[in-house]
Amino acid sequence: MDEATILARTRAYVNDTFLYMRPGFALSDQDRLLQRGVIDSMGVMELIAFLHSEFGVVVADEDITESNLGTLADIARYVSTHRSHGNGGRPGTNGAGSNPRG
Amino acid sequence: MCGLAGVARRESRGVATEMLDRMAGALRHRGPDGSGRYADAQVGLAHVRLSIIDVAGGAQPLGNEDGSVLIVYNGEVYNYLELRHELVAAGHRFRTRSDTEVLVHAYEQWGTGMLGRLNGQFAFAIYDRRAGTVLLARDRFGVRPLFYSIAHGDLWFASEAKALFAGGEVEAELDPVGLDQVFTFWAARPPRTVFRGVYSLEPGTFAVWRQGVLRHDRFYELHYPEAREESSDTLPTLGGLLDSSVALRLRSDVPVGGYLSGGLDSSITCALAARGSPFSLRTFSVTFDDPQLDEREFQQLVAHQLQSCHHIQAIGAHDVAAVFPEVVRHAETPLVRTAPAPMYLLARLAREHDIKVVLTGEGSDELFLGYDLFKETALRLFCLRQPQSQVRPRLFDRLYPYLDPRGRRGDFWRRSFLEAGAPDDPLFSHLPRFLLTARIKDFYSSDLRTTLAGGDALEELRASLPRQFASWAPLNRAAYLEMVTLLSPYLLSTQGDRMSLAHGVEARYPFLDHRVFEFAARLPAQSKLRGLREKAVLRRWARDVVPPAVQQRPKQPYRAPDVPAFFTSPAPEYVDELLDQRSVARTGLFEPAAVAGLVRRCRAGTPLGFRESQALVAILSTELWFRQFITNDARGSTPPAPLTDRVAAVG
Repeated sequence: MDEATILARTRAYVNDTFLYMRPGFALSDQDRLLQRGVIDSMGVMELIAFLHSEFGVVVADEDITESNLGTLADIARYVSTHRSHGNGGRPGTNGAGSNPRG
Repeated sequence: MCGLAGVARRESRGVATEMLDRMAGALRHRGPDGSGRYADAQVGLAHVRLSIIDVAGGAQPLGNEDGSVLIVYNGEVYNYLELRHELVAAGHRFRTRSDTEVLVHAYEQWGTGMLGRLNGQFAFAIYDRRAGTVLLARDRFGVRPLFYSIAHGDLWFASEAKALFAGGEVEAELDPVGLDQVFTFWAARPPRTVFRGVYSLEPGTFAVWRQGVLRHDRFYELHYPEAREESSDTLPTLGGLLDSSVALRLRSDVPVGGYLSGGLDSSITCALAARGSPFSLRTFSVTFDDPQLDEREFQQLVAHQLQSCHHIQAIGAHDVAAVFPEVVRHAETPLVRTAPAPMYLLARLAREHDIKVVLTGEGSDELFLGYDLFKETALRLFCLRQPQSQVRPRLFDRLYPYLDPRGRRGDFWRRSFLEAGAPDDPLFSHLPRFLLTARIKDFYSSDLRTTLAGGDALEELRASLPRQFASWAPLNRAAYLEMVTLLSPYLLSTQGDRMSLAHGVEARYPFLDHRVFEFAARLPAQSKLRGLREKAVLRRWARDVVPPAVQQRPKQPYRAPDVPAFFTSPAPEYVDELLDQRSVARTGLFEPAAVAGLVRRCRAGTPLGFRESQALVAILSTELWFRQFITNDARGSTPPAPLTDRVAAVG
């Protein structure tokens, strides 16, 4: 799965989950999710669960940082790296990409 | 505790007694023990009574010797015996033993200068027939409510807004700005309410009506003259004040009970009450099926030590939802939390056990910096002094362990605190809460957004701060904001007065004796918040008063079940009806599609954060409130009395 696909799926998830109440909200790939009020602390947990179920990436505690998960682009890069290297995350535990969104 | 209502007309065109009866009838829950009214050509006064002091002789409206000064009064003046001695010495003659009559003579003696002499929780209206004035006054911290409205040139006033509407001449309309304040601060800020043209008299103020004009003035200001060091007599002084405050609040001709949460504050008030009460103390606690919310272990510990007769209100999966419509009706405002619901049930339990008066621990967290918000403020300032530090923000993990036992929010979560505002913003301490609460506005309809365009609840608050605010230390600023935005309009009103008086139970607050407040305001901040240890001085003093486990336990926020309470099968029918897209569209305050998205996530059982949980409670309570008040349910079927039917009835 390439980074662009990861980005598109993550964006769709964020729109459905965190922005359903703000349909006109313009979110760029570089916008900081926390600063723009897209995600709160519980949202971080939801996002991490999504990355696991959707991409098979287990986000280690020390990886829960702004640089890894701060923007949609950061998330796509992080997931892409960890899927391809199997480093830190454990792709395949839930079947990498085995639970794609329709 | 009681309820009052009345009208002062600009012109002498009569006051219908039937109308006063309707207003009193809307307050019957506050005073089930009796009622009375007075009417002349210009002024009408109505009162419902909960008999606590001078059960036989305290009927109202009550007048002075010649009937030229009349009062309707809700509350207690605890130092009434001392004031009475002074007044008798000054030549006043008393007919009853009540604190009400003390107020009448105090007014005659000192005019509005009486207010600074009162130690208590009160709201009253005094009609001075000679001067042609009506004086409205409310206690220092806003324990007792007093609403007013000016309609067709006349002044209307009452303990609850529903009594104003019952009179038939004050319309119940939404105030969108008041609603927006609820969705920023948890409650509208006095004098504003969620009803257009209905105002809440600000705590510590009074207003005088004369010839169709209402003039406001303040008799009490919150002030924080913080000392550099703690004095050597701090602990005995604190002990003496608390002993005195509790002793005054045990003055009652009926048994006094205690609310016992299991925390430090209520344990102290119950312990002191048990020492000083001539009656065997009855304690009342809320327990939750959800162990994350439950404090029964500590409640039982204290109840056992005090050998109190302990009663428990258990809150299960369905209890909050079952009473929520009644809770909103009594609160008269949309809510962002369900926490008032268990308090409503607790008051019912107390009343079922014939308890009309309870002591409770509110106020201590504001005075002695008990809330996490104060620690959060101190931590944010600490971190912002070295913004590059990676270590300092990790202290936030220690602050809120209960929010995420797995502790997996990491850097993201910590940064949310650090980016919530600059230290030079007067609202710095509260911005995380205010901004989080304001996320409810994501669900506003486009019409409501348009209506509110240009307004800014935070900017209005900044503009309203007292001149000396900027000179206070950051934690004192935080304490002040907590007092005026949350304690008074929410904790003491929505969750306090309204829930307890729904069942005719009077709550008394020993920590809100103004002498205790002034003592705490003078303490150095480190006496109250030492590192991340809250209420340090109170804990030191309480060592011999409460069990060690309670004395040492960290503060646990009081929370109640929220979203699951409304979606656990069998869910109450009103939830489906009110959250239906067409129903939401009819009300017009929220975006139906957004609400549908939220409901979908609730029904799916998705664990929701504060943002969505509060939105669900806010939307549901607003829809309930709108139907109960704005679309006419609250006013009942009794039409306003026609003008021609009004008669002057002096008596």
